[in-house]
Amino acid sequence: MRRDMPLFLTPYNKFMKKQIPGKSPASIYLHCFFLMRLTILLVIISTLHASAFVNAQKHVTINVHQEPLDRIFTVIQKKTGYRFFFNYGDVRKLGKSDLKVTDALLSDILDKLLDGKMSYRIIEPDMIVITDKDQAGPGKIDISGTVYTEKGEPFPGVSVQVKGSKAGAITNERGNFSLTVPADALLEVSYVGYETQQIAVQGARKFTIRLSPVSAGMNEVVVVGYGTSKKANLTGSLATLDMKEKENTPITNASQALHGMPGLWVNQAGAQPGLDVATIRIRGIGTLNNNDPLVLVDGIEYDMNEVNPAFIESITVLKDASAAIYGSRAANGVILVTTKAGKKGKMQTDYSYSYATQKPTYLPDVVWDPIQYMQMKDQAEINQGTAAASVDYTQAQIDQYKQGMVSDPLAYPDINWFKTVLKNGYLQQHNLRFSGGSDKISYNIGLGYMDQDGILIAANHANRYTVDINVSANASERLKIGADLIGNFRTYTEPAFGAPNPTNYYFTRLMRVLPIFGTYTHDGRYASTVFGTPGRNTIENPIMLLKEGSYNNQIQRTLLKLYADYRLPFNVHYNINFGVDRQNAYTTNFVPYLVTYNPVTLAPNNFNINPASTNWDNDNLNLNFYQTLNWDKRISDHSISLMAGESYNNFGSNAFNGHAEGYFDNTLTDLAAGSTNMTASGTSTKDVLVSYFGRLSYSYKDKYLLEGILRYDGSSRFADGRRWGTFPSVSAGWRIDKETFIQLPSAFDLLKLRASWGKLGNQAVPLYSYLNTVNIGSAYSYSFNNTVSSGAATTAYNDPNLSWETTTDYNGGLDISLWKGKLQATVDVFKRRTSGILMAIQIPAQIGELKGPTENVGVVDNTGYEIGLLHHNNIGNVTFEVGGNISYVKNNVVSLRDQSIISTNRITEAGHPINSYYLYQATGIYQTQAQIDGSAKFSNAVKPGYLQYKDQDKSGTLDGNDRIVVGSSSPKYTYGFNLNIGYKHFQLTSFWQGVQGGSIYPSLNFAWPFNNGAGVTKQWINGSWTPTNTTAKLPILTTATGATENFQPSTFWLRSASYLRLKDLQLRYDLPDALASKLTAHKIAVFIDANNILTFAGYKDFDPEKNETNDNLYEYPSVKTLSCGLNVTF
Amino acid sequence: MNKILFACILAVMIAGCSKHVLDTEPNNSYTESTYWTSDKNALAYLSGCYQALTFNGLFGYATPLWEETATPNAYDYGNSDGFSLIALGTQNATNASTGNITTGIINGRWSDAYGGVGRCNTFLDNIDKVPVLDTALRARMKAEAKFLRALFYDMLETYYGDVPLILDEPDLTAQGNLPRTPRAQVVQQMLKDLDEAVPELPVKYTGSDIGRATQGAALGLIARVLLFEASPLNNTGNDLSKWTAAAQAAQAVMNLTGAGYGLFPDYRGLFLPANEDKQETVFDVQYSLVSPGLGNSFDLIDRSYNTNAPLLDLANAYECTDGLPITQSPLYDPSDPYNNRDPRMSKTIVYPGAKFLGAITTATSPFQITGYGVKKYSIYDSTSSTNLINQAGKSETNYMVIRYADILLMYAEAQNESVGPDASVYNAVNQVRTRAGMPALPAGLTQTQMRDAIHLERRIELACEGFYYTDIRRWKTAEQVMNATIYNSRDQPIVTRTFNAARDYWWPIPQTQRDLDANLSQNPNY
Repeated sequence: MRRDMPLFLTPYNKFMKKQIPGKSPASIYLHCFFLMRLTILLVIISTLHASAFVNAQKHVTINVHQEPLDRIFTVIQKKTGYRFFFNYGDVRKLGKSDLKVTDALLSDILDKLLDGKMSYRIIEPDMIVITDKDQAGPGKIDISGTVYTEKGEPFPGVSVQVKGSKAGAITNERGNFSLTVPADALLEVSYVGYETQQIAVQGARKFTIRLSPVSAGMNEVVVVGYGTSKKANLTGSLATLDMKEKENTPITNASQALHGMPGLWVNQAGAQPGLDVATIRIRGIGTLNNNDPLVLVDGIEYDMNEVNPAFIESITVLKDASAAIYGSRAANGVILVTTKAGKKGKMQTDYSYSYATQKPTYLPDVVWDPIQYMQMKDQAEINQGTAAASVDYTQAQIDQYKQGMVSDPLAYPDINWFKTVLKNGYLQQHNLRFSGGSDKISYNIGLGYMDQDGILIAANHANRYTVDINVSANASERLKIGADLIGNFRTYTEPAFGAPNPTNYYFTRLMRVLPIFGTYTHDGRYASTVFGTPGRNTIENPIMLLKEGSYNNQIQRTLLKLYADYRLPFNVHYNINFGVDRQNAYTTNFVPYLVTYNPVTLAPNNFNINPASTNWDNDNLNLNFYQTLNWDKRISDHSISLMAGESYNNFGSNAFNGHAEGYFDNTLTDLAAGSTNMTASGTSTKDVLVSYFGRLSYSYKDKYLLEGILRYDGSSRFADGRRWGTFPSVSAGWRIDKETFIQLPSAFDLLKLRASWGKLGNQAVPLYSYLNTVNIGSAYSYSFNNTVSSGAATTAYNDPNLSWETTTDYNGGLDISLWKGKLQATVDVFKRRTSGILMAIQIPAQIGELKGPTENVGVVDNTGYEIGLLHHNNIGNVTFEVGGNISYVKNNVVSLRDQSIISTNRITEAGHPINSYYLYQATGIYQTQAQIDGSAKFSNAVKPGYLQYKDQDKSGTLDGNDRIVVGSSSPKYTYGFNLNIGYKHFQLTSFWQGVQGGSIYPSLNFAWPFNNGAGVTKQWINGSWTPTNTTAKLPILTTATGATENFQPSTFWLRSASYLRLKDLQLRYDLPDALASKLTAHKIAVFIDANNILTFAGYKDFDPEKNETNDNLYEYPSVKTLSCGLNVTF
Repeated sequence: MNKILFACILAVMIAGCSKHVLDTEPNNSYTESTYWTSDKNALAYLSGCYQALTFNGLFGYATPLWEETATPNAYDYGNSDGFSLIALGTQNATNASTGNITTGIINGRWSDAYGGVGRCNTFLDNIDKVPVLDTALRARMKAEAKFLRALFYDMLETYYGDVPLILDEPDLTAQGNLPRTPRAQVVQQMLKDLDEAVPELPVKYTGSDIGRATQGAALGLIARVLLFEASPLNNTGNDLSKWTAAAQAAQAVMNLTGAGYGLFPDYRGLFLPANEDKQETVFDVQYSLVSPGLGNSFDLIDRSYNTNAPLLDLANAYECTDGLPITQSPLYDPSDPYNNRDPRMSKTIVYPGAKFLGAITTATSPFQITGYGVKKYSIYDSTSSTNLINQAGKSETNYMVIRYADILLMYAEAQNESVGPDASVYNAVNQVRTRAGMPALPAGLTQTQMRDAIHLERRIELACEGFYYTDIRRWKTAEQVMNATIYNSRDQPIVTRTFNAARDYWWPIPQTQRDLDANLSQNPNY
C-alpha cells in the first residue's frame, strides 16, 4: 500500500494556501514549476551547471492580466518545463502584474516581473530559485532542523546535503541535523525509499522536514519487455505490483499475490500445500487452448511460483499490444517478475517471520447422523420407485444400529467425518536477506524456509527451501556483469492412492464417505462398516487413505542467469543474457495393502491388496539466450530509443518412470524391493523457439510519445513452412498536461491519453500437433495366448496446416494524476480479437474414435474496460489510502466455422462466451400427475416432485434440441479494493476482492443426494419436495443415480459463482525507532493478519473460488488463515 | 578486447540463425509416413485392431456381464455403464452418458466400435505400403482385419440399426458429415468382408497366434449376423429363406473339418482360465495378466461389486434335473428350491444356501442386492480363496464372443424356424443339454414347443454371458419380459421395469454424436 504523506514540498494548490500563514520560519513553502531555460540565467549560475547551456535561448510568449506572480510562474512552467522555487508569502507580497510579451527572453520577463525587489538564479539545469533580495548573497549562516517520517517519527540516518557542494550532514537518532550553509543554499534531503526533497534555505535558520515514501509518482520506473521505462512515458496498458503491498500476507507463491490487479482474474482453487497455485487470466479467456500468460523472471521464461514471493521486488503485467515484444507467446498477456537486487550502501539485513493457522472456508453441510442418513436413503429409494422391501437399510438394521450406537459406538459410530480427518493447518515462513554494495559491486543474498501442514490430518505437508543470490559488478567503466541464482527446493506429500492426482482422488473418496463408516475396529485395525451399502463395495476408510502408504513429491528448480552489459561507442549498449532453467521433479509413490475390516465380524474388505511402487522422474532443462543492442539519444526536443535483439529458447524435457509390484508387505517401498510386474517407461521432447525483435520509441518534448515493436518468431511446434510469424505493434501517448494550448487546472500533474494496436501470437499447442503419428506402447498391446503382442494405433487426427493463433489487440487508456499523486486514476478500454484460434476440436466418433485435431478454427472477441482509482491523504496523524479497481470483460465467440463444440453440459458456439453452460431449462417442480401427463419428459418414471423442463422446440419430447445456452464459468467483472489506515505506529490495511457474473455447476457427490452410493447434505432434510411441502426449493428426495431425470444438465443446478471476500486484513505496529535501536535493530514491525476471513457468496456448499472447469466438489478446500509475525531490519 | 567481443557477438548471432534449428521430431511415436515399413510394424498395427476388442464399450472391463442386467436375468443396483437405464426403459440420447464406467454404454459402444472400425480401416488402407511382406501372411492379416471390422460393425448395427458405413481410413472431410447408412447395406458389407476373409483364414493357430480370427470365427459371425436378420425383429414378413441361410451358416461351422470344434465336457471349467481356447472356443477376446493393462474386471464385478446380480426370474427358469420346469416337476421343493436343478445353475450363479468362498451364502450375505451372485466367468467358487481381487485388480479369463454351444443353438433355432424340429434340431440342442447333464428334449415337440425350448435353452446355456439382451430383442419378446417387476431371492419386489415396444428395441444415437454430426438422424421415438 502506498503510504504517501502530505508533502512538505507540494505543487502549487489551494490546499497549500490555507496552511501558509503563520507557520514557523522553518516552514518555507516552496513551489516548484517547470520552466524553460534561459541563456541569461545560465550566465549567473556556477560552472557546475554548465550543461544547462544546452537548451538556451528559448523565448516565451505570455499574455496575462492582473495575476499574482506564482500564477504567472505556473504559466511559464507549462510552456517551458522550468521549475521555480520561491517563498510563497514573499512572492505574493509583490502583488499582481500584467504581462504581455511576445517571444521574449525569459530573463527579460523575470527582470520585469521581479522589478528588482527579488532576485533569481538557476540552481539546476531546469530550476530557478527566486530569493528575497536582502537575503541573497554569499554570506553563510548556521541552520538546524529535524527530519520526520511520514508518521511523524524522528527520522535518523537521513542525508541533508547542500546542493552543488560537498557540505552535508546525516540526521542523528532524534532526526536532528545542523549545518553551516550559504544563506541562499538549496538543501537536498534524501533517504532510500523516500522522495528526495529540495528546500531553499533563503536565510531561514530552523527547519522541520517531513519525508514521504516514494509513491507511484511520475518518475517511477517500471519493467517492460527487455528493458525499463518511465511510467509517465508508457504508452501501453500495464499493471504493476510492488510486492511491498503484499508484505506479511500468508501467500505461499507469487501467483496468489496477483489477486486484485486490474485486468486480471486470479482464481485460487484450494489451498493444497505444494499445489496451491492460482490460475491467472489476463483480460479474459482469449483462446480455447492454453490461456496461461507468459511469465518471465528477470527476463528469462520461468515459473513465478518457483520463486519465493519474498524475493520478488515487483511484478509487471503487460496487458495489451505492448506484450508484442514477446511475439508468439504474448497473446495471453505477459507477466514480468523482477527479483530484489542489492543496493549501494552498507549491508542491510532483513528478517521476517510469520506463523499462521488455517482452516477450511467452506465444506458441504453433510447429514452425519447415521440414523437420519439411513432413513433418508431409504426414503429416497422409495420415492424413486424402489419397493419398500428392497431399500438399502431394513428397519431391523436401523434398530440394530440405534442400539449399537449405545452399546458399541466404535462399531456403530456417530461421527462427523470432516471433523475426523480435518484439523487446523499451519504455515510458517522465515525469510532472511542480506544486501548492500559499493560503487563497484552490489549483492543480495536471500534465504527462505517454509513449513506448511495442511488441513488434512496427514499426507499434506509441504516444505520449501529457497535461495536467491545475485551480484552485479561494474567491471570497468563500460562493462557491467552480473549473475543471479534463484534456487527452489520443495517437497510435498499427498495421499498414497490415486496417482497421478492423489489429493483430488482422496476428495472423491472423502466426499463419498458414509456416516455409518467406522474408524477403527476394537483391535485397532481400520474399520469398514457394519452394513454393506449397495454401490459401496470397496470401503475406503478415509483415515487409512491418509495415513497409509506414501506419495512424496520432491521438486528442485534453479534458474541461473548470467548477464553482461557493455557500452559500445556512440552510447550503444550491448546486453547479453544467458539463462539456464533446470527442473527436476522426483515423485515416489507406494500404494500399500489397504484392507478394512467389518467392525463386528472382522471380515476383510479389500481396497487394495496389490502393493505397488511407482517412481516418476521428470527432468527439464530450458536454455534461454538473448542479446540486445540499445541506443538512446536526446536531440533537442526529440528523444529516440532503439532496441534490437535476438533470442533463442530451447526447452528440453525428459521423463522416466518405473513401476514394481509384488511387495510382501508395507515395510519396504523401494522399486528394488518389488518382485513382479516391473515396468519402466520414459519420453523425451524438445521444443525450440528462435526470435528477432526490436523496439523504437520516440518522444517529442516528452509530450508526444510513440512506440513501435516488431517481433519475428520461429517455432518448432509447427510444420516447416508455417513456423515463422510476425508480430507488430504500435502505440502512442499524449501528455495533455504538457500541452501549451490546453490550460489544465494546476492540480493536474499528469493527464495522458494512450492508444495501442498490435498483433500477438499464441503457439501453445501440444508438441507435434501438426504430425499424424502412429503410437506404440503397452496401451495398444494385445495378448495372444498369454503372450504380449506389441501393438500400435492411431489415436489422434492431426492437422498439418496448424499455425499461430493471432490476437489483434486494441487499447485506449487515460492516466490522471492529481495533487502530486494524491488522486490517481487509470482507465483502459480494450478489444482483443483472437483469430485462427487454436483448439482441439471434437470430431464425430465415427472417424475412428480419434481425438480431434488442434486447428485454427475461429474468432473470439474479448472487449472490456478497467478502471483504477487511488487516493491517499492524511487527517492529522491519521493517514489513509483508498484504492480500487474494477475490470469488465465480455467474451464472445464471433465465429467457429458454423460449428458448436458441446461437451456434457457446456457449449462453445458463435454468439456466446467460450465454454458457456448448455442446459435444459428447469421450469419448476411437478405437483400433480396431470401436469406430467401433458408435458414432455425424460422418461415415464417422472412423478410429482420431479423437475419439469421446458420443451424449447415444442416437439413434445425432451432431447438435445431443448437445451439453452446460459451462463459461463468466467466472471464478467473482477474487482478489488483496499482501505488502509495509519495512525502513528499503527497501520491497518485491508484488501477486498471479488468476482461477479460467473457461474458454477456443482454436481455429483454431496452436490446431489446419494449420488452413486454417497451421502446427502442437510439441505435435503427439509428443503426437498414432499406431497405436503409442495413449495420446496429442491425436488423430491431421490438418489441422483436412481432418478437421473432430475439430474440432467439443467439450469436448476447452475449456481452463481459471484463472491466478495475480505481477502486480507492486517494490523501492523512499527516499534518506535528508539525502542528498535535499544533492541539493536534498525526497524522492527510486528503484525497480525487474517486472510479469507469474510466471504459473501450466494453459493455456500463449497468455496465459490473453486476450479472453474471442475463441476464437482472433489477439491482440496480453500482456507482462511490467521497469522502473526514480525519484520526486523538490522 | 573490443574486437574479441564483437567476434563473440557475431558468432552467437550466426549460431542462432542455423536453418535446421527448428526441426524436431517425436521420439516416442512414428509418423504415418514412416510407419508402414516392415511386417513387424504391420503385425503390431493389427494387434492394435484386436486390442480395440477390449474397449469398455465392447467386450472390455465387465461390459458383457453388465449387458445381462438389461434382461430379466440380472439387475444392477447402480448404473454401471448405463445399462440400468436401458433395463428401466428410461434411456435416452443424453442420459445414457452418465453411467459409472467410461461414459455409458450407449455412448461408449458407438465410439468404441468405430474406434475398432477406424483401426481396421487404417490397417487395410496401408498394409500394401509395406514393401516386403510374405504374401500369405499379408492375405491372412487382411482377412483378420476384415473379420474384426465386421465384428465391430456387428456391435453397431445390432444395437443402433442404421449407422454410417465407413470403409476408408479416418478422414475428417470425407467422414465428418455422413448420414446413417441403411442397416441392410451395412450388413451386406459385413457379409462381404466375412466372405472374403473365410478362405484366407486358417482353421487353427498354434502358439502365440492362438486367439487370432479363424475361418470358424468368420463363419460363426456370418451365422450370427444372418440369424439376427432372420429373427422377428428384422424379418417381419418371416421370410423363411433368411432362416435357411442362417441355418446353413451355422452348419458351415459345424461342418468345418480340421477345426475340431466340440463341447468342452466341463461346463464350469469352460469359463476358467485353465481351459481357454479348447474345442468349444470359436472366437474369444484374449485377456492376460502377463503384463499390466491386459486384463478384464470379471472377477471384480462378479464377486465384489455384484452389479450383475442375478434375479429370481433367472433362478426359476432353470429346470429340474428331470427336464421339467419347477412349476411342473415333482422334484421341485419350494422349501429347498435349489435342489435337484439343472446343474448349470450352480455352475452359473451363487444362491442362498450355496457354499461360496468357504461360507454358506444367505439371502443377504455376501450378495446383499438380490441374494444371488454370478460365478460364471469368475475364478471364485465354493472354496475359500486367498487370491482375492482388489479394486485395481484384473482377471485373465478370456471372453468367448462365439462358442460352439452358441453355434449349435443358432443352428437349432434357424433350422427349426425354416423346416421345423427335425432330427438335426434335436441333435444340436441335445448335445448342449447332454454336456450340461440334462436329459434330452422329449420327442415329438411341435415347432412352437421346440422354439420355446430353444429360447429357454439359450437363456440357460448362455446365462450371464451377455447374449440374452439381443436374443429377447430379436425374438421381439422384450416387450413382454421387460415390462415387469423384478424380485430378489426372497420374492420381494425390487423395481418395476418398462419397455416401450415402439422405441426400445433400438438404442438412441448418442446426442453427443448428433451434436458433432448434424446429419445423423435419430431412431424412432427418441
